[in-house]
Amino acid sequence: MIERLIDLSLHNRMLVAVVAILTMAVGFQSYTRLPVDAFPDVSPNLVQIFTVTEGLAPEEIEKFVTYPVEASMTGLPGVEKVRSVSNFGLSVVNVYFQDGLDIYFARQLVGERLQEARDQIPEGFGEPEMGPISTGMGLVLFYYIEDTTGTYTLEELRTLQDWVIKFNLQTVPGVTEILGIGGHERQYHVVVHPEELLRYKITLGEVVDRIQANNLNVGAQFIEKNGEEFVVRSVGLARSMDDLGSIVMKTDDGRPVYLRDLADVEIGGATRRGIQTRNGTGEVVAGMVIKLFGANSSTVIADVERRLLQINATLPDGIRIVPYYEQKSLVAAAVATVTNALVQGIILVALVLLAFMGGIRPSLVVALAIPFSVLFAFLMMGRLGISANLMSLGGLAIAIGMMVDGTIVMVENVDRVLRESKPDENRGRVIARACQEVGRPIVFAIIIIIIVFMPLFTLQGVEGKTFRPLAYTVALAMFGSLLFALLLAPMLSDLLMRRPKSSREGSPREALIVRLLLRVYQPLVSFFVRRWWAAIGLAFLMLAAGLILFPRLGSEFTPKLREGTVVVRLTMAPSIALEESKRVTMIVERRLVAVPEIREVVTRIGRGEVGAHTDPVNSAEMYVILEDDIDRPQEEIEELIREKLGDIPGVLATLTQPIEMAVDELLEGVRAELAIKLFGDDLAVLKERADAIAASVRSVPGAADVQVDQVGGTPQLLIQVDREAIARYGLNVADVQEVIRTAVGGEVAGQIFEDVRRFDILVRFEPEARNSIEAIRQVLVNTPDGGVQPLEELATVREIVGPRQITREDNQRFITIQCNVLNRDIGTFVEEAQGVIAADVALPPGYLLTWGGQFRLQQEANKRLRLVVPATLLLIFLLLFSSFGSLRSSALILLNIPLALVGGVVGLWISGQNLSVPASVGFIALFGIALENGMVLVTYLNQLVGEGVSLAEASVRGACMRLRPVLMTAITTALGLIPLLLSQGTGSEVQRPLATVVIGGLASSTILTLLVIPALYRWFAGGVRAQTSVNETK
Amino acid sequence: MRTTALWAAVVVATLGPNLATRAMAEDDHDHEEQALGQAVQISAAEIEEFDIEVAAAGPGSIATSLSVPAEVRPNADRLAHIVPRYSGIVTDVKVTIGDEVRKGQTLAIVEGDESLAPFEVVTLISGTVIEKHITLGEAVGREGPAFVIANLSSVWVDLTVYQRDLVRVGVGQNVEVYIGHELAGKGTISYVTPIISERTRTATARVVLSNKDRRWRPGMFVTGKIIIAEETAPIVVPRTALHTIEDRIVVFLETPEGFVPQPVTPGRTDTLQVELLDGLSAGDRYVLVGGFTLKAELGKESFGDGHGH
Repeated sequence: MIERLIDLSLHNRMLVAVVAILTMAVGFQSYTRLPVDAFPDVSPNLVQIFTVTEGLAPEEIEKFVTYPVEASMTGLPGVEKVRSVSNFGLSVVNVYFQDGLDIYFARQLVGERLQEARDQIPEGFGEPEMGPISTGMGLVLFYYIEDTTGTYTLEELRTLQDWVIKFNLQTVPGVTEILGIGGHERQYHVVVHPEELLRYKITLGEVVDRIQANNLNVGAQFIEKNGEEFVVRSVGLARSMDDLGSIVMKTDDGRPVYLRDLADVEIGGATRRGIQTRNGTGEVVAGMVIKLFGANSSTVIADVERRLLQINATLPDGIRIVPYYEQKSLVAAAVATVTNALVQGIILVALVLLAFMGGIRPSLVVALAIPFSVLFAFLMMGRLGISANLMSLGGLAIAIGMMVDGTIVMVENVDRVLRESKPDENRGRVIARACQEVGRPIVFAIIIIIIVFMPLFTLQGVEGKTFRPLAYTVALAMFGSLLFALLLAPMLSDLLMRRPKSSREGSPREALIVRLLLRVYQPLVSFFVRRWWAAIGLAFLMLAAGLILFPRLGSEFTPKLREGTVVVRLTMAPSIALEESKRVTMIVERRLVAVPEIREVVTRIGRGEVGAHTDPVNSAEMYVILEDDIDRPQEEIEELIREKLGDIPGVLATLTQPIEMAVDELLEGVRAELAIKLFGDDLAVLKERADAIAASVRSVPGAADVQVDQVGGTPQLLIQVDREAIARYGLNVADVQEVIRTAVGGEVAGQIFEDVRRFDILVRFEPEARNSIEAIRQVLVNTPDGGVQPLEELATVREIVGPRQITREDNQRFITIQCNVLNRDIGTFVEEAQGVIAADVALPPGYLLTWGGQFRLQQEANKRLRLVVPATLLLIFLLLFSSFGSLRSSALILLNIPLALVGGVVGLWISGQNLSVPASVGFIALFGIALENGMVLVTYLNQLVGEGVSLAEASVRGACMRLRPVLMTAITTALGLIPLLLSQGTGSEVQRPLATVVIGGLASSTILTLLVIPALYRWFAGGVRAQTSVNETK
Repeated sequence: MRTTALWAAVVVATLGPNLATRAMAEDDHDHEEQALGQAVQISAAEIEEFDIEVAAAGPGSIATSLSVPAEVRPNADRLAHIVPRYSGIVTDVKVTIGDEVRKGQTLAIVEGDESLAPFEVVTLISGTVIEKHITLGEAVGREGPAFVIANLSSVWVDLTVYQRDLVRVGVGQNVEVYIGHELAGKGTISYVTPIISERTRTATARVVLSNKDRRWRPGMFVTGKIIIAEETAPIVVPRTALHTIEDRIVVFLETPEGFVPQPVTPGRTDTLQVELLDGLSAGDRYVLVGGFTLKAELGKESFGDGHGH
């Protein structure tokens, strides 16, 4: 079949050429349209539902908001997990969907159910809304508004952000949302003096009602007049502070009491749960641009920046939008790292080809395999929706050397056969024969490489999302190279390759370099073939080296991708107030800004407009912006920052990066090996039992870092209405609570419209009458019989410590006990701990323990790999077997694997790198390449033996004959990776271990292929010998 | 040989991630909940940077008080209702509302119905005419007062006392009277109503204030702050010095080892200060302002994974 394919392409050159050119053209077009990201997006597939209910404590949020939302999400198709957090004033429900489910479909499902949830949430408790259509990588640009004049108030700047900049930016294609933070959201404050209420005998509720009743516009259809229609409208909206102040509260004896008689009307800021500070000097107003899911980061950012310039031109003098973080440079850097590697790799590979092939024409045929395979991969990436990023392009960079392998083998054979052919033979026929000779092994070799990457597709979670694009592009590029080798290479060889003319001295000569190498190699291989024990000794020596070094390798998970931006994350006491949080944050900012290398520090404290962040006010994220001329590795900068920060009293500071932080936020959160989750209803019981469980776990040998979730720690002022007291005064609970809510928390009594901008009217007591426990106790409540009573007469007011947040999963509250395990097998640890807990801690009915954490993921991953890796090897073995028809040959080729691994291990050890996921990926790639080398050689040895050459001679001669292709494929692959190995660019930290392993492994496996296989061939040629003995007897 | 190869592959593929996750989990969280008894060490520069103020403990006074709504009324003891002696027709009115009158001054002249002789209506006290109910030519009787004369040189401030506070309020206590948030006068409680109004369920405590400059106008709503007790105590600290750690109330004590949270027992308090019954002795240096930073430092270990999710 393969032969026929080759024939077909040789006979329909025109057609093949046209199809090939078309493929490349479409591939190029697809390349220009591919979404470009910095990294593969590892965010989970989730829909977030936010509900803001200002002023409500976590318990109420959970009961009235989170629960109905959560309950309505159960039973949706494709939902993996529903997790929720109820914070002060904010409910967040994360609905995790299966990977691969269309996000718009998922949102549609959630949207439908949300309608149900809305009906369940009591009036005035907020509207649940879905978060932006984006992912953890969606925060592409942050900016702040700079006021060089110093004359604008924070409230004016925020109004500018919310009503000018935001709306303008939101229309940029690919932007899904602009979220503002900092400054003061403009509000009209009605600051009520309680003693005036008493004097005029007006209740707070009446004030709210009166404002609402005196702030309306209505339409009244139209009247006809002389054949014309006049629209009738009545205008009664309050338009200014004066209008508001003139609202009449009551009329006594014909004398009106105005709102301004009881209250001050002023412009103020809304309650804030987050602010933005800069350089330790003060607050700024800031905004963040969120990219639409699937949009091309680099174009979106470029468009936004262009629009920012336009907006800047329209802003008042002295006001400027200053971006302080954008992903563009990161995207550019990451893409540059791999494209540089790609280009350099192509050049290196071309040089190797020239040197080995000794001619431009065959080199050209081989080199053409690269653009074709790459463009084919792009074409398919477009079809499969894989974005261009560090990993997917990295896959192409890795594959560069391998893409040419198939064609090398083919062209090399054509070249050799042409040289050996008789001058009178038809050139076309010779080429066809040469191609058909190696067609089969090439197909098998490439298919094996593709299969070898199979285990990568089974990686789950973050690693899966990180490395799958790489596996995809390698597989796609290899498939492209297979097409090229089979269909285009014969045709191009026929078109371009000539029979060497220098046939005066017998057969045409090989390239110089090959001849030089052969002079060294021939005696060497003869030596090993004669003294097979030396070969075995060499192999064992190498294996032993590998086995000794392997345990000495350090290990780490995926190396951290360096994003080029450092974020200092501050965590302060959970009970901290925003003002204190700001004070402390600015102290830290001042410490950093004093460092000469640091130009600017911009910090977000808490959360701004809901949609991207849910942090409470005790959390701050500090973006450190360096001076432009600082060009130092990120580690050094981080070290510098760490040193300058020192230990900050009362503050926990950790260094992180923007994307890392955003993605971590969306992931599960538990980073310990073991996470014991206790599910149950009562928060106090949960906490108490969790502490007991933690104590039990600590007693188990091997337990380390046992930690219970900090769920409490937020002080509350609990006002409990005394039912007997209110009964005496004829009050309802709601009457009392209404007063508490409005007087202390404030109530929105409509809006003031300034053209289309609308601002809330907030009615609230003056600060002195509500900002202390004493004052709150004295808040007066009107009784139905006309009297007034202070709150303390009707309710008990006390301070308690309440929950900071309530977390739920699968519709139940839970608390997590985290733990790591040292020096011991985690499986037995879990068993023992389970026993101890069962004996020590009695769980009330309805309480449930689950055991999870990284160990569970790891176990699952291991279980999968234990199945997939042998299955892959089996599949490869079957392929080899069907290719060679011999168990022994196949086994001989598989022998390449362990020795290839040795080189990888040594490579890691020499370069001081750790065993990590990318290194493992390198090992996988190595399998494929090592097998390919073995196949090239063994095929030819079999062929020679088949032709009747004696075993020993075949071993030496075959090895010498195959020196060129084996070395070429190995060297091209290795050289293709050299740029990745040496690169210092963004993202190189992930590619480097991979490149190290492959290059190291290629070195060892090439030695093995060239020296040990010929030596061992005598025992493995059994299957073939039967044939040959027949030949020999002839 | 084949199985060796297989195993090597399996080992690499499975052990790799295995070891890797292990390394990743080495995030140390040494977490003990023993904040009390620990000392916080913090450099002098940081004390400055974080605005931490330290003071020596000493005596002070605690003024326990109670703020209540109040209303200014005319002093009923200096009020005169002037009624014509006989019914008749008003032939002359000599004063109008707001006029100052002297004791014995003629306010109006009425012609008696029976005697048909004019007689003078005179005021019984000096003061201000605050009500006038007669008009020229009107027939007046003895049913109601024709004039109300109030001597406004002193006024009553009636304080509303709620049921639960009654036990603490008594005659003789000092009261500060505030108009809005401004201290406008001081006086003492001269009287507390012996019964509670059935309608409002409150009692009234009365303060008599001098009103020479007429700034207290009857009808005004004011706030009375009743000083229930003003006592001195050996150890008094501002309320900002108190913090709660693990359900204990503490004050941060400056010691050579650093700042130590010292459990204390608070006694009487007023709006700004609190008396400490134990835990602190005179001369001890304690943290006046900025204790929250120290408290946060003590709890820092447990902040860990504490944000949002």
